[in-house]
Amino acid sequence: MNRRTVVKAAGAAALLPWLSDEGLFAFAQIQKASAAPALKTLSAGEFATLETLAEAILPADDRSPGAREARVAEYVDLLLSEAEDDVRSSWRAGLAALDALSQQRFGAGFARLDAANAETILGELAKNEKEPKTPLEIFFKATKNATIRGYYTSEIGIHKELRYLGNRFTPVFIGCHTEDGKDCPHCGQKAVL
Amino acid sequence: MADTTLELDLNAITEDSRKLAASIKPGKQKYDVIIVGSGAAGGMAAFQLAMAGIKVLMLEAGRMIDHRKEYRTMEWPYSSMRRTRLPPGERSIDVAEYNFDRPYGGNPVYQKNAKLNSYAGNTFTRNWVVNEKQHPTTGTPYAWVRARVMGGKTNFWGRGALRYGPLQFDAASRDGYDVDWPIRYADVKPYYDKVDVLLGCSGTMENLDTVPDGIFQRPHKLNCTEVHFKRSIAKMGRHYIPGRAGVTTEGVLNNKYRVKCMGRGHCGRGCDIGANFHSPTALVYPARDSGNLTIRPYSIVTEVLVDPAGGRATGVRVIDANTRETLDFKARVVVLGAGTLDTTRILLNSRPTTSPQGLGNSSGILGCHLSEHIMGIRGSGFIPNRIGTETTQDDARPISPYVPRFRNVTDKHPDFIRGYHFQGGGGAGEYPGVAHEIPGFGKGFKSNVRKYYPSLFSLGGFGEVLPRKENRVSLDPEIKDAWGVPVLRFDYQFGDNELKMAKDMGDTVEEMLRAAGAEDIKINRDPLPPGWSIHEIGTARMGNDPKTSVTDSTCRLHDAKNVYIADGAPFVSGGTQNTTWSILAMCWRTMDHVKERLRTKEL
Repeated sequence: MNRRTVVKAAGAAALLPWLSDEGLFAFAQIQKASAAPALKTLSAGEFATLETLAEAILPADDRSPGAREARVAEYVDLLLSEAEDDVRSSWRAGLAALDALSQQRFGAGFARLDAANAETILGELAKNEKEPKTPLEIFFKATKNATIRGYYTSEIGIHKELRYLGNRFTPVFIGCHTEDGKDCPHCGQKAVL
Repeated sequence: MADTTLELDLNAITEDSRKLAASIKPGKQKYDVIIVGSGAAGGMAAFQLAMAGIKVLMLEAGRMIDHRKEYRTMEWPYSSMRRTRLPPGERSIDVAEYNFDRPYGGNPVYQKNAKLNSYAGNTFTRNWVVNEKQHPTTGTPYAWVRARVMGGKTNFWGRGALRYGPLQFDAASRDGYDVDWPIRYADVKPYYDKVDVLLGCSGTMENLDTVPDGIFQRPHKLNCTEVHFKRSIAKMGRHYIPGRAGVTTEGVLNNKYRVKCMGRGHCGRGCDIGANFHSPTALVYPARDSGNLTIRPYSIVTEVLVDPAGGRATGVRVIDANTRETLDFKARVVVLGAGTLDTTRILLNSRPTTSPQGLGNSSGILGCHLSEHIMGIRGSGFIPNRIGTETTQDDARPISPYVPRFRNVTDKHPDFIRGYHFQGGGGAGEYPGVAHEIPGFGKGFKSNVRKYYPSLFSLGGFGEVLPRKENRVSLDPEIKDAWGVPVLRFDYQFGDNELKMAKDMGDTVEEMLRAAGAEDIKINRDPLPPGWSIHEIGTARMGNDPKTSVTDSTCRLHDAKNVYIADGAPFVSGGTQNTTWSILAMCWRTMDHVKERLRTKEL
């Protein structure tokens, strides 16, 4: 990362007192990781609901961080800002309906539910996910798909979660070790049948 | 946040292209040969002729390409907050469609152009494919992918480098349908060999009639799921072989623009080190270095000009894409390599008084026999030996393996003639598409995605579409493109043979996945829309009889002795093989005829 891209990434850097290169870099990192997002479509409340939902679909676990740290909700907010009107309004209606359901069941918006109550609600929404029928089921499936796309195309999803090993210089492809006449430690196939 | 993947600055290359175009005017210089197009056909034609000392003018409808900058081979999806998707208005088909995650996206209005979406809708290739609004088509739906830029579709081609064999050249002798090619595999084999050596082809010797062997460089090994699949279907007498890729894995001689494959993947975005065959680095730039090739970008060829007295071409008419000037360039020979359908369109639009139905169309069959491959029938499943294992590097290669055709080779299927092949493989790719199919949410869902991620295996079929006279293109009598040229009208649909074949493809892919013990097998039996294969051929078919063919066996028009076709338009039937390697070999053969006839002053 050179100075120029840092300045660009930081955005607000022009308003700041002069920082060293290291300082600017650190600022950009803060922006990247935990700064409040500049929302394009959703209200802060809608964003909180979406972010909670995305994290519930792909949560942090022992192996890697989840959708919140991968900033999936910000990705959806950006794409919604550039989607057709009916797509945008369907999504907002879905977020509102999720909050309404959560309010009705447990007396609080979805973002404030404890884990057990959130799971109860999502279990219902995911029940028919192969063929979603109700608006809320359809909303859940759409959000799940968008969360999958946003998460597994993020740095966290590709490198920390999947530990994908491609897109690097590999002068000779190794493949299954049986191709070189050896037993393969990855799949257990024998060199010779 | 700024999206650097959308801010690719093309001003320098477009400005260079404008200046280059403006510097080349008719009458300033004499050319022996005009070549229309700069893709696989135009590139090979230019290379062959320029290297033989022949003065060539290449006319490309689009701009030049800055391949080092525009081939963003190793860019990660997270380089952009949009993850390679484009905002509305940035797409080549800018109908404000936005295929945001289904079910809210997926507007049926755009299904017709779904394939075009996939090229026009990502940040890597959208600058090369045409805008559908400027280049409409009429008639039946056809996903006609066109690239107007130096190198054409070779900038993002699929790298399948397969030969036609006796099963294609003598197809009619075997099953009695339609006609044989006027030439045989033995006529083209030496040219396939030369193409392999010149451009580099990765593969293994298999000794199969269905896909003849070549002169191969280092092949790409199979990964764990694929070895298991290969061993499983071997018991059924079927083959599963490393893909044959038009990629140099061991280097090519005397080409300073290319180095050997480094196994990075993402080849379809353009290979920035030139290991993948692309017409510019492999053919056009070396040809230009000879001093015999002049390239004029932004030159839309609208028709071949014909001397009414002699029935010979005198040159071509060009509209400059920027200035909209009409320019007539002259030469002794015209070689059309605009791509099967645009070449056909140029001929149909060339209407001298002597042939008002189109140049080369005295037979009336120009535009007929449009053929390609039926696709979309595919199967997937999880190969048990990799379920729950840690990720390995499974996709560091330019192509996945291949199940050669097994139908109607030695046996005879009761329901259909000809055949199909499958391409595909398994293992851990960059994006776990499987996640969309796994039910649930939360930690259990997340761990299931990584459990199945390295084990997903899938195969997709390519089936021969029988050449039929009624599958045709013609000029639309009313609609014109943005430059006033009549657009193509398609009358094209899959027939009974294709649909029966498609059903069998679904059955056999399921049968093979079951033989491999795959879990959670899913079969898609619905064909993709016509045109999806981008393997269009046949609309100016070759033959010995001028009454039933457009070109002779050297791809020269029966009706105009100095007009040649270098692309797939003269191909009689297309088997199941990907088309590019045959275009390259056939073009080389055709150019040998051109060279010889120029030498003997016949041209």
